[in-house]
Amino acid sequence: MTTVTEILIIGTGFAGLGMAIQLKRTGRDDFIAIERADDVGGTWRDNHYPGIACDVPSHLYSYSYLPNPDWTRVFSPGPEIQAYIRKCAEDEGILPHIHFHTEMLKSTWDEAKKRWVVETSKGTYEAKILITGTGHLADGHMPNIEGLDGFEGDVFHSANWDHSVDLEGKRIGVVGSGASAIQIIPEMQKLASEMVVFQRSAPYMIPRWDREYTEGERRLCRRDPSVIDEMRSEIFWAGEFNFAQRRNIPRFLNEAKALAVRHREDNVKDPELRAKLTPDYEIGCKRLLISNTYYPAMSAENTTLEASALKKVENGKAIAASGTEYDLDVLVFATGFEAVRPPFATRIFGSEGISLDAHWDRGMQAYDSIAVNGYPNLFIINGPNTGLGHNSVVYIIEAQVDYILGALDAIESQKVEVIEVKREAEDAYMDKIDRMSQGTVWLAGGCKSWYVDDRSGRLTLVWPDFAHSFRDENGTFHPEGYMMNSAPVAAE
Amino acid sequence: MLDDQPYRDGEVTVGGVAVRYRVAGPDNDRLPLVLVHGTAGSIDGHYGYIFPMMAYRQKVIALDWSEPAGDTVELADLVAQVKAVIEAEVPNGPVTLMGYSLGACVAAKVAAEMGNKIKNLILAAGWLKTDTHQKMRNDVWRQLRDQDSASITQYMTFCAFSPAFQNLKTLDEMKAAAGMLKMSAFVDKQMDLNTRIDIAAECETITAKTLVIGCTFDMMVPKHHSKQLFGAIEDARYAEIPSGHAVVHERAAELFHYVDRFSAQPDQYEAGAIIPAQKP
Ligand SMILES: Cc1cc2nc3c(=O)[nH]c(=O)nc-3n(C[C@H](O)[C@H](O)[C@H](O)COP(=O)(O)OP(=O)(O)OC[C@H]3O[C@@H](n4cnc5c(N)ncnc54)[C@H](O)[C@@H]3O)c2cc1C
Repeated sequence: MTTVTEILIIGTGFAGLGMAIQLKRTGRDDFIAIERADDVGGTWRDNHYPGIACDVPSHLYSYSYLPNPDWTRVFSPGPEIQAYIRKCAEDEGILPHIHFHTEMLKSTWDEAKKRWVVETSKGTYEAKILITGTGHLADGHMPNIEGLDGFEGDVFHSANWDHSVDLEGKRIGVVGSGASAIQIIPEMQKLASEMVVFQRSAPYMIPRWDREYTEGERRLCRRDPSVIDEMRSEIFWAGEFNFAQRRNIPRFLNEAKALAVRHREDNVKDPELRAKLTPDYEIGCKRLLISNTYYPAMSAENTTLEASALKKVENGKAIAASGTEYDLDVLVFATGFEAVRPPFATRIFGSEGISLDAHWDRGMQAYDSIAVNGYPNLFIINGPNTGLGHNSVVYIIEAQVDYILGALDAIESQKVEVIEVKREAEDAYMDKIDRMSQGTVWLAGGCKSWYVDDRSGRLTLVWPDFAHSFRDENGTFHPEGYMMNSAPVAAE
Repeated sequence: MLDDQPYRDGEVTVGGVAVRYRVAGPDNDRLPLVLVHGTAGSIDGHYGYIFPMMAYRQKVIALDWSEPAGDTVELADLVAQVKAVIEAEVPNGPVTLMGYSLGACVAAKVAAEMGNKIKNLILAAGWLKTDTHQKMRNDVWRQLRDQDSASITQYMTFCAFSPAFQNLKTLDEMKAAAGMLKMSAFVDKQMDLNTRIDIAAECETITAKTLVIGCTFDMMVPKHHSKQLFGAIEDARYAEIPSGHAVVHERAAELFHYVDRFSAQPDQYEAGAIIPAQKP
């Protein structure tokens, strides 16, 4: 049986759900969203590890059109964000449009039908327009550790936390020192008899201006929602200010560095430990992390910092690259996500029958960060060159949703059957991105990070500019970049 | 490895004093942007953010005022310095001129005098005619200065930043920021000039496409002054930033946003438009 729909959305995180809400709000009802899991929320459904919270203040890290007066903290805990997303889906009447437990396995452009044929774990769908909201941090990355199978204790990834494992009094190894790891480590330190942190490279860390909102503040937000608008504006532009660090401008980079150095020196007294916790690359070329509890946890009696990667497991022991061996009961992998080569791209086949992943053999790219030549009637949210080092991803998602709504307006009013981005337009856009990235910390910061695609040395994940300029440049549909036809698009 | 943005220093002589300026950024289809700082300012002090960030987009020229000879500073002295820099650096073709605070008053007068040369004009937290409210503040400042009061920089800082911004800091941090301000005879003369501004007649003759930027919580040059400029200049549009007078520090990125958009597309909004704030 084939389910036919005008618009098919893949994924129901902030992106897919935001798209669905706006389709509904603009009077479009002929759409389905498929979701491989059993609930909406994406990132915030999957990541429920102890200590999870957002690192962009919640009043900004939420839909602009669905403000929430009830955030309990500046940086809300993960479950609160998940509950918010769930409530948005309910209030906006989206749940009936979602097919849960439905994983997209293969999407193929059918040239004859002018439709996407989407095979899923629950049968086949056909849609005129395909929109991916599969996330850029949705699939956990597990490093290939020799002998890990032979580890007798419990092993899990941060994005797939096993709450059935009792961690109290255990010897816990945490692998990684990125954004998730630094939230997990303070929680593990409280529970563990001993904790070992395997750190490949030390992160830059600055204080977290977190606090609880009082009942009075929340009541004020309910009584006068303009207060929320003011907070959003304040948080957003403060975040934008920090783009000057990413742009590598000495004065602003040095200010951020000074803040990080002071934070480290205030919180880590032992000189040897402090040296190990000092990064050897420029600030900001990896994510700038924020925490008040990480350094105290690293300085605790029961914590050992292993300043090298976990290399292998042998005779039940975890062995670091330095050669040091550890006896552990649990190994937690906070090792990030498959971001540079997103798994969804291996499953989408365009007019020439080539997968997006193969097509992107020199790294991801898309016109206006949303459309790819050879892949008609497809829009990618949160794909190539959309990531931010300094502001809310939801802001970018909303800009992309607006873009797609503009495209749909054009498609509907001009009765367009096939819309495909011109190759020249896509190339010109990528040249622009290359020009914009020159000299930014990501390329010039002297660190290897997942922002850069190894195969081309190009910045393929990050939008290398202010967030506001993403909206200025990519927040409205640009018809001039596309071939729009009611007849078949001629092959190039 | 820092991004060493290439820049060039220049110098012109005006009324017997040397005026230094800085140039950076690529030539492209945008008009060169000339930046004029405000009272007690400098390129780094007032445009420490805007100058380097705009220089990634286009050619930018900024000058540091020099103290003219004489007992007072007149608007005409500062106007002459700006004109000299423009003539030296952009002998042919039009420019976009931006002024902040007292620099906005200077820039407006330059635009009135140079006509077509100033194609686009950006006036941030400027004013048309000094009013009683400003004179009151300036008079307190004068008394503190005459008493050689240590409180003067704290008073200036208190007036410059919005309550919301100050509340993100501690009292000690605000005091430390105040401690960085330096007084001088030249600043005294600028403060005196601030009590005597009246460019109402000149503004009526400005033909440049103008963006006026007012600051919602400005206690030094409250936003009604920017509204007056918006009314007085024929081809003006108005934007407002929720900041104190020190918008170049408080909301530097939002200010950048308006400057960048207007420099790229001066025609985006028509004369008389009140530009809606971007709602993030
Ligand atoms: C721990 C953590 C903390 C973060 N904190 C912040 C923060 O503070 N601020 C910020 O701006 N960003 C943060 N991020 C980034 C975050 O990922 C984005 O902000 C945002 O949640 C992405 O939303 P999305 O809808 O694009 O992707 P996701 O939330 O990842 O949703 C993708 C959805 O697609 C589904 N899916 C994927 N493939 C398929 C398939 N083949 N078939 C069917 N369904 C599929 C997934 O199950 C998932 O539900 C954080 C990320 C993580 C991991």
